[in-house]
Amino acid sequence: MSEKEFLAQVQANQGIIYKLVGLYVTDKEEKKDLYQEVLLQTWKAWPSFRGEAKFSTWLYRITLNTILTWQRKEKKMELRDDLENLSPAVPHKSLQQEEAQRLHWAIRRLAETDRAIISLSLEGFDNGEIADMLGISANHVAVKLHRIKQQLQNVLNTGK
Amino acid sequence: MSLEQQWKQLDEQGDEELRSLLQPRKLQRLQSRNPLQKIKSLIVAGLIFSVAITALYGYLLVAYPYWPITVSLIVVIGFNVWVSVTSWQLYRQINPFVQEAVLQEMQHYYNSVMNWYRLQERVALFVYPVALAGGFLLGGMEGSGKSIEQIMSKPIMWVALGICMLILVPLCWWFARWMFRKSFGRYLKQLKQNMDALSSPG
Repeated sequence: MSEKEFLAQVQANQGIIYKLVGLYVTDKEEKKDLYQEVLLQTWKAWPSFRGEAKFSTWLYRITLNTILTWQRKEKKMELRDDLENLSPAVPHKSLQQEEAQRLHWAIRRLAETDRAIISLSLEGFDNGEIADMLGISANHVAVKLHRIKQQLQNVLNTGK
Repeated sequence: MSLEQQWKQLDEQGDEELRSLLQPRKLQRLQSRNPLQKIKSLIVAGLIFSVAITALYGYLLVAYPYWPITVSLIVVIGFNVWVSVTSWQLYRQINPFVQEAVLQEMQHYYNSVMNWYRLQERVALFVYPVALAGGFLLGGMEGSGKSIEQIMSKPIMWVALGICMLILVPLCWWFARWMFRKSFGRYLKQLKQNMDALSSPG
């Protein structure tokens, strides 16, 4: 596949990178570094992409690999204490945007690997696909997903 | 609205600066800040240092033909060659651009960093005592203008050498360990936590 095709595919799917990076890193500079590293990893791995899986699936795997093996900066992630203090990034957001932001906030409160599992599930991947991407069994994924969803619902309900 | 719908609503827009990276010329110029890439660079630096120091040992071997120094230098040179070969093999094994499943990928990173550390530890445990003894004898010879036999004929010198070794070798080893922990300790802990979390049943 050509270089042009690669760029078109990344351009069409770059939202995946932004979305996942945003779940793990809050510092603007570090986000930029991580985004660049994902791009570089994707670029280097591109010759081995055979098109057996969808490009978005392949990109998901590379992005998660890069994020979870990335050496973080010393800075601690700034997590607000509760949902009530979540200040709006956009002054007049729609209810839908607000709910989406609440979900983002709640996912960021989960353990790192749990964030990966729930994001894959919300993206529409089935347990088998998630298991394949993460290198664990589908049963494992099912058990974890059940627990993570409960935890997520609890965080969303209590706001803490 | 379901969680899936909320997820789809999440803002996916990055900034213009990041989008501008999507050009072949810019992509080719990107430098990896991957931890394994850093270790590969450290291995290369170590190899260059090893070659330079071996050349210096070679010079000392010719300049100071006294058997205790010759023996320690030959041992250190032999060890340097072994370390260089092992480092090169490790360098070839480490691949920062391999794409496996997430758990296997984390294990690859963890093992690569640990293998590199174990190599450094072996180097420290072996090289420090030999280098210290060699330096002690060479310094003594240069400082006093006496031969090794004359210097070491006094029992106090053996005691001094023993005390230096007892203090400096653990100190250097501890310092090397501290440096490694400072550089990679937090990272290894993060990898281990994530590997354990992912492979645990619940």
